[in-house]
Amino acid sequence: MIIEQAPALIVVVSLMSAIATPLIGWLRKDLCYLWVILSLLFTTFCSVLVLNTVIHQGTIHYYLGSWLPPWGIEYVVDHLNAMMLVLITGASLLVAIYSRKSLEIELPDRTIYFYTLFLLQVTGFVGIVITGDVFNLYVFLEIASLSGYALIATGEEGAPLAAFRYLILGTVGACFYLLGVGYLYMVTGSLNMADLADILPRLYESKVILVAFAFFMVGIALKMALFPLHLWLPDAYTKAPSVASALIAPLMTKIAVYIMLRIMFTVFRPNFSMALLPVTQILLYAGVIAIFVGAVMALAQRDFKRMLCYVVIAEVGYMAGGVGIANAVAIKGAILHIMNDVVMTLGLFAVAGILAYKMKDHEIGAFKNIFKTMPFTMAAFLVVALSVIGVPPTCGFFSKWYLIQGSVMAGNWIFVVALLFSSLINIVLFFRIIETGYYDFGTSESGHAHEEGSAVNEAPLSMLIPTIAVAVVIILIGLYNQSIITNIINFAVPKI
Amino acid sequence: MGAFLIYGTIDMPDWGDPNSPPSVHVSPRYIKKTEEETATPNMVTSVLADYRGYDTLGETTVIFTAGMACILLLRRRKEAGKAGQ
Amino acid sequence: MDFIIAKYNYWIYIILMMIGFYAMIAKTNLIKKIIGMNIFQTAIILFFVSMAYKKGGATLPILTNADMHGEHAIQVAGYLNPLPHVLMLTAIVVSIATLGVALAIAIMMYRKYHTLEEDEILKAIK
Repeated sequence: MIIEQAPALIVVVSLMSAIATPLIGWLRKDLCYLWVILSLLFTTFCSVLVLNTVIHQGTIHYYLGSWLPPWGIEYVVDHLNAMMLVLITGASLLVAIYSRKSLEIELPDRTIYFYTLFLLQVTGFVGIVITGDVFNLYVFLEIASLSGYALIATGEEGAPLAAFRYLILGTVGACFYLLGVGYLYMVTGSLNMADLADILPRLYESKVILVAFAFFMVGIALKMALFPLHLWLPDAYTKAPSVASALIAPLMTKIAVYIMLRIMFTVFRPNFSMALLPVTQILLYAGVIAIFVGAVMALAQRDFKRMLCYVVIAEVGYMAGGVGIANAVAIKGAILHIMNDVVMTLGLFAVAGILAYKMKDHEIGAFKNIFKTMPFTMAAFLVVALSVIGVPPTCGFFSKWYLIQGSVMAGNWIFVVALLFSSLINIVLFFRIIETGYYDFGTSESGHAHEEGSAVNEAPLSMLIPTIAVAVVIILIGLYNQSIITNIINFAVPKI
Repeated sequence: MGAFLIYGTIDMPDWGDPNSPPSVHVSPRYIKKTEEETATPNMVTSVLADYRGYDTLGETTVIFTAGMACILLLRRRKEAGKAGQ
Repeated sequence: MDFIIAKYNYWIYIILMMIGFYAMIAKTNLIKKIIGMNIFQTAIILFFVSMAYKKGGATLPILTNADMHGEHAIQVAGYLNPLPHVLMLTAIVVSIATLGVALAIAIMMYRKYHTLEEDEILKAIK
């Protein structure tokens, strides 16, 4: 019975547990943490079941309320969805385990409400990914966005202004999406993605469709932080509390990439998106510029978290450029990169949170001698850094390989240059941190400082285990990437 | 941006056209069958609560999220003398 | 020029949207930005609702007593399209929720910095 109802259960359980969290918190504050972990465990289990079913049986169609589409809302779970579901629930589970100690320091008096918004955000993300109806997607997009704005605004100095800017720009993006839905509805009369895909081919010459597509793309690009609409991202993710940035940063932008993939390939079929418009050119150039801007600005940062934000912007550039190259290999690379990037960004921000917990600071200059005091954390950080640079056998290498292969096949050398350039800059970035962490420059009595500082002062276990788990997952995805591609991603790539 | 929007209105169906696609494709079933399938004479309610009830669940969740967000953001600390954070 | 006359309602909404969008981007007072956002969202909602109208004497989408007992077939063209109304009920609720969260953040900032101008807050942070 669970398997049949699993798609709906994932959303419903998250929602109900989010509603129950304040009630439990008013009874006993310590139970909240366990409750959050339990509900996320259950949803992860359900999403793994869904993935299993999709691999063996093909696409799942689940009709909510038993009304057939297009009169009712349906859930369509195909391979792309199922992979994203497992990623989202798994990542949120890891962040939830990680969150207890960090919240004790940063937000001691409001943990109940923080956990409620945490679960609501997960509900929003899962709802976006699993639905097959464009208006339902808007509703869940707003749930996710609203909880994101609130979670970010509880951060340190300057966080409310960053959250406010994110709110204004994010609402503009969502409203553009809604406008796109409205224009599409006006000429087709339907809101279901599969139904729209059937009706639209007859209407490709209509100007309304063109305008609708443009609005969708701009709205999604705002949420995705694609250059030049990325200005909200550095402030918002830097000033947010560590747990909030560890939850939102890996997931929100990649889910926006997922929405773009859905709109471009499921609703508007590939021959419209690719052939009739210069959309792929625009995506490609925006991606390339995003990679360059991200890399250069990251070099200029002294604050560790801000540097990571620019790395995220560059990663979004990889994905957008991969879609812009418009052949099957590059899109395969882009989808694999979604998976890798969720894991890598989670690892990076988890390490940043641990460092903020221990050092109470995020300037790079303050990270002296941390390789001796926090060996496990920095080992995990090394693995994640190697993956961002793109070294085998970590997963980052394989997605870059597919992207480079795809762009060479398309004859597009600018993208190859951008990818290689970004790898080089990443090497410089991460080695700078490794260098600061290994050697203890700065004090003249460095001999004495060595002895005092070299006692192992490792991060607490509840924060350490998820970080190491992420590093292990990165290596595992890298080793098993062939089977992941043949079983899941090959089916998710649209036929071009 | 306004010019772009206006460009899009050229191909739109006229105002009040009873044969425009939205009125022809999905909604006739809502109008015709609302009595027998949902026993509600008010069509807006039957669509909102029955055919598309899931959207209403999402909408309720949005209100809940906003409420929780306000509590999270606006609660003052209990210690006297500290600025609210 | 007849496409303008036949569709003048859309032009009105586009003008409203532009006003709201300009207010959101160009003004520096936080409350003015929030009001601009609300105008923008309201214009989109009006745009959707206007889609539902049918000329020729269509009434509200509520069945009257005469139709309810199946005495004659229900005329589809006699009733407005209910679907956009439904979608916009949800959109109105979402826009109010966003307004609420935006105002909560503005109150947070006012409590801390005692001003509602964006540039003064930026100076105070640095």
